[in-house]
Amino acid sequence: MKKEIYGVITFKSTNHAIKGEKALKNININIKTIPTPREITSSCGLSIKFDLDDLLKVKEVIKENELAIKGIYKTIRKGLNKKTIEI
Amino acid sequence: MKKEVDARNVACPKPVIMTKKALDSIAEGTVTTIVDNEVAKENVSKLAKGSNFRCKVEKTKDGNFLINITKGINTEGEEETTNVCTSDTFSDMTIAITSDKMGKGKDELGNILMKGFIYTLTESIPYPSTILFYNTGVNLTVEGSEVLDDLKELEDEGVEIISCGTCLDYLDVKDKLKVGEVSNMYTIVEKLKGASNTLTI
Repeated sequence: MKKEIYGVITFKSTNHAIKGEKALKNININIKTIPTPREITSSCGLSIKFDLDDLLKVKEVIKENELAIKGIYKTIRKGLNKKTIEI
Repeated sequence: MKKEVDARNVACPKPVIMTKKALDSIAEGTVTTIVDNEVAKENVSKLAKGSNFRCKVEKTKDGNFLINITKGINTEGEEETTNVCTSDTFSDMTIAITSDKMGKGKDELGNILMKGFIYTLTESIPYPSTILFYNTGVNLTVEGSEVLDDLKELEDEGVEIISCGTCLDYLDVKDKLKVGEVSNMYTIVEKLKGASNTLTI
């Protein structure tokens, strides 16, 4: 069974999510815009998935670009089962 | 009596014929057919189901399917044999993706929604058995597409990924295909008509 651990950033609005995607792509890290996981409800429909190794860089970009985020989470996915905790 | 049939690397409908021959050659017992693709798995399962034999499908680590078919007097006519081949991993569904954007209106939004759609497919069971890409939809299966890894994941799970050859050619990206197979209108028509469910995006 495939196991994967990654970070998820949720945003206050779709526009900020799009802005975030652009800003994070600019610093050449591996990210992906995904629909907000069901376990995290209180945010807009788009989130950004990233590699937890890049957490510091990601936080920096969020600060620099004044992105309105709702939260940053860590997700552990095993097959189709997911566990998400706020970090 | 046990028989094994290796139907990997042979084209349709060979796996079905090989399995049928093996089944015909025994009065009772088990035939295990190994196939390397989803379509062959479905076809061989259908054969077993159609003949009212008990069958069990397993997926191996390297992406092959083992179909165990039991033929015998005591298995025939049992009620439970009718549904045993239904796997919960796949539904008999074709998804047709006709554009690289989801919905009409804003292009930027459409792109994002499409990315989200494909990503979510990897996380929701049952998987469709086939995803067809045509018109600008083929932009999703070629170099530069942001959903390649998701599509590769789906392909690894056994989902058939098919891109329209005419479309790849027209958009001049034929040599850039990165996932799945190229096919023509015959296959597209067959896949759209043949599935019990078709979703057009």
